[in-house]
Amino acid sequence: MPRDAAALPAAPVAGHGLALPREAGWWLLLVPAFLLMTVLYLAPILQVLAISVTEPAPGLGNYERLLTHPGLQRVIVTTLRICLVTTILSLLLGYALSYVIALASPRAQRWWLLGVLLPLWISVLVRAFAWVTLLRRQGLVNEGLLGLGLIDRPLPLVWNEFGIVVGMVHYMVPYAVLPMLAAMREIDPRLLAAARGLGASRGTAFRRVFLPLSAPGLVAAGVLVFIVTLGFYITPAILGGGKTLMAAEWIKLQILDLVRWGMGAMLATMLVVTILTLLGIFSRILDLRRVFGGGR
Amino acid sequence: MSAATREAPLAPRAGKGTGHALELRALSKRYGAFTAVDAVSLRVERGQFLTLLGPSGSGKTTILMAIAGFVAPSEGAVLLDGRDITALPPERRAFGMVFQGYALFPHMTVAENVAFPLRVRRLSRAEREAKVRAALDLVQLDRFADRRPAQLSGGQQQRVALARALVFDPDLLLLDEPLSALDKKLRAELQEELKALHRRVGRTFVNVTHDQEEALSLSDQVAILNHGRLVQMGAPAALYERPRTRFVADFLGTSNFLRGTVQEAGDPGLALQAGGTRLLQAGADLPPGSPVLLSLRPEKIALLGEAERAANEVAGTIAAWAYLGAGYSLTVRTADLGALRVALPAWRAPIAPSEGLPVRLGWAADAAVPVLEDADAA
Amino acid sequence: MNGGHPAGPLARFLAWGTVFYLLLPITIVIPVSLTDQRYLSLPQEGLSLQHYARLLGSEAWLSAIGQSLWIALGATAVSVVAGTLCAIGCWRIGRRSSELVRVLMLLPLIIPSIVYAIGLYRWFGWLDLLDRLLGVTLAHGVTGIPYVVITVSTALAAFDPRLEQAARGMGASLGQTLRWVILPRIMPGILSGAIFAFIHSWDELVMVLFIASRQVVTLPRKIWDGINENLDPTMAAVAVLLILFTVLLLALDGAVRSRAGR
Repeated sequence: MPRDAAALPAAPVAGHGLALPREAGWWLLLVPAFLLMTVLYLAPILQVLAISVTEPAPGLGNYERLLTHPGLQRVIVTTLRICLVTTILSLLLGYALSYVIALASPRAQRWWLLGVLLPLWISVLVRAFAWVTLLRRQGLVNEGLLGLGLIDRPLPLVWNEFGIVVGMVHYMVPYAVLPMLAAMREIDPRLLAAARGLGASRGTAFRRVFLPLSAPGLVAAGVLVFIVTLGFYITPAILGGGKTLMAAEWIKLQILDLVRWGMGAMLATMLVVTILTLLGIFSRILDLRRVFGGGR
Repeated sequence: MSAATREAPLAPRAGKGTGHALELRALSKRYGAFTAVDAVSLRVERGQFLTLLGPSGSGKTTILMAIAGFVAPSEGAVLLDGRDITALPPERRAFGMVFQGYALFPHMTVAENVAFPLRVRRLSRAEREAKVRAALDLVQLDRFADRRPAQLSGGQQQRVALARALVFDPDLLLLDEPLSALDKKLRAELQEELKALHRRVGRTFVNVTHDQEEALSLSDQVAILNHGRLVQMGAPAALYERPRTRFVADFLGTSNFLRGTVQEAGDPGLALQAGGTRLLQAGADLPPGSPVLLSLRPEKIALLGEAERAANEVAGTIAAWAYLGAGYSLTVRTADLGALRVALPAWRAPIAPSEGLPVRLGWAADAAVPVLEDADAA
Repeated sequence: MNGGHPAGPLARFLAWGTVFYLLLPITIVIPVSLTDQRYLSLPQEGLSLQHYARLLGSEAWLSAIGQSLWIALGATAVSVVAGTLCAIGCWRIGRRSSELVRVLMLLPLIIPSIVYAIGLYRWFGWLDLLDRLLGVTLAHGVTGIPYVVITVSTALAAFDPRLEQAARGMGASLGQTLRWVILPRIMPGILSGAIFAFIHSWDELVMVLFIASRQVVTLPRKIWDGINENLDPTMAAVAVLLILFTVLLLALDGAVRSRAGR
C-alpha cells in the first residue's frame, strides 16, 4: 500500500490503537532470542538443578555428600587451591602488563594489545596442545635445559598441578588485563607526573596514586578470573593428565563414566550457585558487558 | 487538501496561507513530579512562521516533540486544521522536521537522504529523482547530490536537512534549533535564506530556538516560554516594544528596570516616585500608591547636552564603558536610580566616554514600559 | 595516553616476560609443525611439509573440518539473527524489563559450559538431538548469542537515536526504519559479533564431548582424540592452521572496525 500522507486517518480513536502495535513491534524483536534462550539454554540448566535434588532419591542427599565424601572434598579443595593460585598469578602478570600498556604511547599500545588479544582468541585446545609439546618429559623445555646442561634429568613440568596452573594462567591473563586496563585508562597519567613533580619517588607515586585509583579494576579482574577458572575443563584435563582432578572433570566422570547423575548435577549446581553469588556480591564493580565488550 | 496537490512536485505555492493551521490546546507534559510543559495553548495560522523562544529547560523542545508526535502529552491536544491528531504516531503525521544536529543518515549520499521520505512512500524512481532534484535546487545544493553528509560543511548539511524535510511536501515544517551548530556569520546568512525559503514554499513553519536575535528576525510570531509556561506571544516588534513581564523584557534584548510608586495619575501619564527622583510615565493608568516596575531599554536613554531637556532626567557618572564598533555601551551610576545601562550609537556620541565622567541622562515619557513581575504574571 | 611518565624497569620486565609467555606456545607450534622428524620436535635437518600433506590427505581430518565449518556457519546464523534483533529490541525499549532480558542473554558467558553440557546431554536425549549436526548447531548458536548481543549493543550505543526519530518523522514504518537506517549503521557491530560467534562455535569442545559421539566429529573433537591417543606432528600442523584461521578472522574484524571508525 503506498503510504500517502493525505490518507491520515481522521478519527483520533484509530490513532490511539496505533500506538500500541508500534511498541509491541520492538518487543517482538526479542522473541527469537528469548525462545532459543529459554527452551535450549535455561531449560537444560534448570534441569541440572532439578536432578541434583531428585536423583537418585528426592531430597538433599547429594548435598550431604559434600560433608561426608572425602574424595569429593579433595576435589573441591584442589579446585579452590588451583583457582586461587591461578587468580593471584594472573592478576600479578596482568597488572604489570596493563600498567605498561596504560602508560605506553598510543602506537605502542596497539602492539601490546595485539600481544594480549591474539592469545585470547586462540583455541584453548591448541594452547593446551602447545603446552604439552613444550613441557612434557621429552618436550622442548626439558630438551633445551638438558642440552644446556642445566639439569641432568627431565623436570616433571606437566601432567601435574604445575602444568595445569601454567596452562590456566596462560588462558586467564588476557581476561585479567581487559578490566584492569579499562580502569587504568581512566586514570589521568598527568597525576603520576604531578606526584613525581611534587617530590614522590617512582615507587611512592605508584603506591599512593596509581594503585588506589586502579584498585576497582583489580578487584573486578580478580572476581572475573576466579569465576572463569572454577569451570575449567579442557586445560586441566589435558595438562593434568588425569592425576589432578578439578570440579569440571569430576562432574564429567560422575555422569559419563559412573552414571551418577545426582552427584554430578549437585557439584554443577554448586558451581553455578558459587559463581552467581560472587557475581551478586561484586556486581557493582563488575560490569560484565564492559569486561567482555570493551577490549575485543 | 486533495490527493492531487499532494502528488504535485515540490513547487512554490502561491502566496501565503496555503499551509496548515496548528493549534495547541492546554498542552501539558509531566515527567513524574516535574512539569516540563504547563497548559500551553497557542495557534499558528496557515503559512505563518512561529518561533518558540525560551532559555534551556523552558519546555520549548518538548512542545516541538509533542507536535511531531515523539512525545505523548500528559494532557491537552494538538490540532491540525481543527482535527485532533494528539494520538497519531509520528510516522502517520509526516511533518517535515529539521533536527538539532540535522540527523542526516551518514551512510547515505545527499540525494539518498533527500529521497528517503519519498522511498518510504514508495514513489517511482522517476518521480523520486525529479522531486529530489527540485528540492536540492531549492536549497542550491544540486551539485552535491552524490556527496556524503560528512563531506559537507555545517551550512550545507543544514540545507540538506531542509531539503529532506520539505521534499515530500509536508503539512508542517518543524525546526529544532536549526542554526545553533553554525558560527555567527553563517547563521546570519542562513537566517535570511530560511526566511526567503519560507516565503517561497508558503508552508507553516514552527521553529525552536534559544537565540532571541534569530527569533526576532525570522518569525511572524514569537511565543516566549519560561518554566514550561507560555509567557507572551506576538509579533517580534510588539514583544520587544511592549513586553508584558520582566522576564520577556530581560530575555529579548537588554533592559533597565526601575521600581517606583504612583504618586499622581494625571493627563500626560503617571507621576512616579522612584528612588530619590520623580519620573513621568505615559500610557498607563494606575491608582496612586500602586507599585510600578518599568522596563527601560538602554538605546532609549540619551546623553543630554547642557541645554537639552527631557521628560525624565537623572545625573550620574560613567562607571564602566565598552566600545562595540557600532556603538558604546555605558554603565552609568546614578544616586537616585542605581546603575543604568545606556547604549549610544558611536557615530554621533556627544562625548568620548571615560570612567568617572559626570553625565546627564534623559528619556521621554513614553520610552519606558510598565511590566509585571513574573510571579504576578502567573 | 602519554603523560611523560613511562613505566619503571620492573614493570617493563614483567610485561615483556608476560607477553613472551602469552605468545610462546602459539608461535612454537609453527616450527614443530614443519619438523622433518616423525615425532614432536623442532626441525633437525630441514623443514618439511609432510605433516601438512598427511593432514590434508586424511579423509577423517577433512571431514572433521567440513563438519565444523557447517556447524559454525549454521550456529553463526542463529546467533546473529537472534542476537541482533534482541539487541535492537532491548536498545529501543530501554527499560528495566529489557535490562533483565539482556542479563539473561549474557548467561552463557557466566555459567561454565560443563554445567550446560551435562544439561544438554539429557535434554537433547529427550528432543532426539544427540549426535546430530542440528543439535550441535543449535547448542553453539544459542551460546553464541551473547557475543552478538554485546557487539551490536556497543554499536547501537554509538547510534544517534535522532536518526531513528528522523526516519519515523518522515513516515518510515518499523520495518523500513530497521532495514534502511538501523541495520546499515550497525553492520560493523553485527559482522564483529558474527566473527566472534563463528570462532566460539569453531573452537567449542565441552558441549561436543557430551552431545556428539560417532556421527558428528568436529575438528576440536578430532584434536582432543589426537592429544589423548597419539601426539604426532600432524597435530602441530592442525594447530598452526587453526591459529592462522583465527588470526585471519581477527584481522577481518579489525578491518571491519577500522572501516566503521572512518
